[in-house]
Formats: sequence, structure tokens, C-alpha cells
Amino acid sequence: MVTNKLSTPIAEFNGVSFKYPTGPEVLKDIQLSLQPGSFYFMTGESGAGKTSLLSLLYLNNMPTKGRIRLFGYALDTLTREAKAQIRRQIGVVFQDYRLLDHLNAFDNVALPLRISGTREQDIKKHVRELLAWVGLEKQLDKYPHELSGGEKQRVAIARAVINRPRLLLADEPTGNVDDAMAKRLIYLFLELNKLGTTTVIATHNHNLIKHFGFPRLHLSHGHIEAVEKNNSTNKG
Amino acid sequence: MKKRTDIPFSSDSSKFFIPWLSMFMVFIATLILAIAIVVYSSVQSWTSNISGTLTVQIPTYTDKGESREEQINKDIEMTLTLLRSSDGITGATLLSDSQMATLMEPWLGQSDTINELPLPKIIDVNADPNNFPNIRRLKADLFDQVPEAILDSHRAALSDLVAFFENMVHLIAFILLLILITTALSVIYVTKSSMSVHQKVIELIHMMGASDFYITIQFAMRSFKLTLIGSLIGFLLAIPIMVLFDYFLRQMSSSFVLESTLNPAQWLILISIPFLTAVLSFLTAYRTVSKTLKQTL
Ligand SMILES: Nc1ncnc2c1ncn2[C@@H]1O[C@H](COP(=O)(O)OP(=O)(O)O)[C@@H](O)[C@H]1O
Ligand SMILES: [Mg+2]
Repeated sequence: MVTNKLSTPIAEFNGVSFKYPTGPEVLKDIQLSLQPGSFYFMTGESGAGKTSLLSLLYLNNMPTKGRIRLFGYALDTLTREAKAQIRRQIGVVFQDYRLLDHLNAFDNVALPLRISGTREQDIKKHVRELLAWVGLEKQLDKYPHELSGGEKQRVAIARAVINRPRLLLADEPTGNVDDAMAKRLIYLFLELNKLGTTTVIATHNHNLIKHFGFPRLHLSHGHIEAVEKNNSTNKG
Repeated sequence: MKKRTDIPFSSDSSKFFIPWLSMFMVFIATLILAIAIVVYSSVQSWTSNISGTLTVQIPTYTDKGESREEQINKDIEMTLTLLRSSDGITGATLLSDSQMATLMEPWLGQSDTINELPLPKIIDVNADPNNFPNIRRLKADLFDQVPEAILDSHRAALSDLVAFFENMVHLIAFILLLILITTALSVIYVTKSSMSVHQKVIELIHMMGASDFYITIQFAMRSFKLTLIGSLIGFLLAIPIMVLFDYFLRQMSSSFVLESTLNPAQWLILISIPFLTAVLSFLTAYRTVSKTLKQTL
């Protein structure tokens, strides 16, 4: 049973094309298979379609052609409740954070736990721990408008990982923090990855790409190209 | 524990609109339903109680004001004999002076003036409701034998009144239906606009895997609470008016045709209005949100 699950790809794209109602095709005939426990950086110029591809993975958009399987399930055959169940196993860090303005940092991070019906005592413990880990133990009560860009980003990351998702998607999650904090955050993702979370991080940060040297998914002209180990020159 | 909602309802206008609307609607609905109940139960009791709807009057004075003292007892005898032998009549009794006094009390008060008034003698006729006498024939027979006697059939007049009040009950039912529809449509409208105000939040929690129920129940509960608050206030405001109305009915009760008091079951019906309205609001909001959500992925 466990081995069976492990051998099923977390995500599988089969001839997937995608376009917004207005505009040309953003993604063309994508073939892709994400193995359980893998860790990818996703690169590509601005406008290459990174955000769009992630949105297909977190079920915010449906492909205009082709088929996507997540955790082994073909998305176009699922009921609404089954889709909700899949969404609960995916953590997303949005490029624009999308924190809820009327909730403080604690409640923002607690949101996925509340949606999945976790007990309040457990919520309290986990949220505090995680916010401490990202260095926000003193900002629990702060509302988004009282937080800096980098702090908001860390709240957004904490919210994405609080549920220990099977699949973590992060859209430029280190865009607003310095390199030291960026590395710290990637280490957080890595820790989660060691526990089995498949991770895809869209990023522009060449220092990070070089430093960690993970396999890369590179998007250009609507096509995807898997770049294996990105061996950096200063390693040897 | 701190009160927390995922959806920041306090920032939308539904918190004013729904309570006011439901207060007004329940206020109106309670009053007109109370009227309908009073009318309906009065009509029920009139139609189930036909006795007293037939009377014969025998004047004690002529049109010219001369006493008919010598003739009156003969007239009464003949009338009673005729009535008792008629088809469909189960009894006929002459009202005593004290019964007359009671009857006239609402108009005259408790006084002895009754004896000085030129009141007619009244014979109360009991008719068989299943074999009601032919009024026209009875009138003709009576005219032959006792030309001065006057047969009053309240039944003809009553049936017009019953028809009128039955129409009134139908009209009230129709108005209640309109109130119901208006309330439901308003809840739909308010819920939809509330959803569009909170669209970003809804999208986000939907994306995090909130089930439709998780989102829907929040809107439905919100709508339920706001409606219940408004409805209960509307109901409470209707009570003094009903009490006042009841008071006036009682003042007139001996002469007036409506029965004033509500029985416990009827009160229960009225008290259920605010709660049923809140349930209607809950179900309407639930359906609206769940239909809207189904249009998303
Ligand atoms: N909601 C949208 N509607 C229409 N076009 C869009 C929308 N979002 C993105 N696009 C277009 O799709 C293309 C890919 O965008 P995006 O996926 O955001 O790229 P990236 O994240 O790599 O910068 C761009 O040309 C962008 O203009
Ligand atoms: Mg982007």
C-alpha cells in the first residue's frame, strides 16, 4: 500500500495546454511527472507561465487541453468534495501572499487547520511553533497591514506549510526577503520535503538556484524543459 | 475565546439590511396572521352554530303606535304552533323579559327602561342544520296566519358575511405569501452581494480546500442570526398592537361578531413566525451560496 502510493506520481501532466479566456496559449502540450518527495525549482522569464502552471496544480484553473492527475486522481473526473479534499493536501504560497486583512498573523496561519477541522488546542501549539520558526513569535497578534513585506511573506509561507501538505507550491516565495532569510526559508521547505512533501518553487533568485542546485523545471515559450542537477561552478 | 470568522461579515451591509427587513416583515405578518386567525375561528364558530340565526319578531305596538295588547298572546300562540309544526324546525321558544334584558344590555345597560320600551316579542327558533327550513315558504305561511310577525333569517346575511371573511382570509394568505417571497428574494439579493464583497476571501478558503459546506454554513448561519434578531423584535413590536386590538374587540364583544381571544395553539402559530422566518432565511442563504459556489471549479 505504502509502496504503491510512493510509486504513483504526485502530479502528472499529459498533453496539457492552457490559455486564459482572453489571450494566446500560455502553456503548450506539457508533459510532466512529479515524483513523490521530489524538490524542484521552477524558472522562466517573467510572463513565461510559471504562475499559470502552478494554478493548474492547485486546481485554480483547468487545462484547456490534456489531462492532469494529482495524487493519482484524474482531476476532470472528481466531485467537488473530492477536489476540496485534494486541495487540503496542497500548500500554496502566493506571489501576492493573499493574507486575510481581517485576521492577525496567528489566525491567518491557523486558517488551513480550521478548514480541515483541527482541534483548537492543537492549532494553538502548532501555529505558535511554526511562527516562531519563521521568526515571527512576537508578531502573532499583528494584522497584515502592520507587517513588513518580508514578514507577510513569512506568514504566507507558514500558512502554506502548517498542514504538512503532500504538495507544496510556492510562487516566488523569497522575493521580499534578504538572501539569509531566503536560505532559511528554503531550509524550512527542505525540512518539510524530508518528511515527504513534494515541492515546487518558482523563483528568480539565481543565488538560491546556485546554492541549492535542485533539479529545475524551465519554462519558455509555453514549453517545459527539465534541467537535471544544476551543478554550480563553485562546488567541486 | 475570541470571536473569529473566516469571512469578515462585519464589514458588509447585510448586518443592517436583514434585521430591518425581517423586523418589518415579521411585524406585518404577525398582525395580519393574527387577524386572519381571529376571523377564521369566528367564521368557524358561526357556521358550526346555527341556532339563534332564526328569530321571529312580533310587534307589541302597531305602526301607528297603538298597543296590540289583546292580540299579542294569540299571535304568539299561533306563531309557536306554526313554527313547531314546520319542517326543519326543532324548537321555538319565546324569550322571557329577563332574556330580552340580557340581549339588550350592550345597548341599554342594566336598567329597567326595557319595560317601558316598545320592544317586540322575540321567538328564538332552532333549525335543524342538516334539514334547514325553506325560509321563503315559512315566511309565506307566517304571513298568512300572523301578518304582523316578521321572520328574521340571519343565515342569509351571515352567509354573505362568511363569504366576505373567507375572501379576507384568502387575501391575507396571499399577502403572507408575498411577504414570504419578498423576504426570500431580499435574502438572495443580500447574500449574493455579500458574496461578491467577500469574493477574495471565499476564493482563498475554497483554494485551501474548504468544502462548499464550510463556506455555505457560515453565510446561512449569519443570515439566520440576523433574521432571527430582526424577526423577534418585529414580533415583540406586534404584541402591544395585538393587545390593543384585543382590548377594543372585548369592548365591543357583545355586539361585535368577532371572537377576540387567541387560544394557546393560535399563539403558538404566531410565535413560530419569527423562527420560521429565520429558518427560511437560513435555507435561502444556504441555497444561494451553494448554487453560486457550484459555478466555480
Ligand atoms: N488572469 C489572466 N488573464 C489573462 N492572461 C493572463 C492572466 N494571468 C496571466 N496571464 C498571461 O499569461 C501569461 C503567463 O503569465 P504568468 O503565468 O503569470 O507568468 P509568470 O508567472 O511566469 O510571470 C502572461 O502573458 C500573462 O500576461
Ligand atoms: Mg508569476
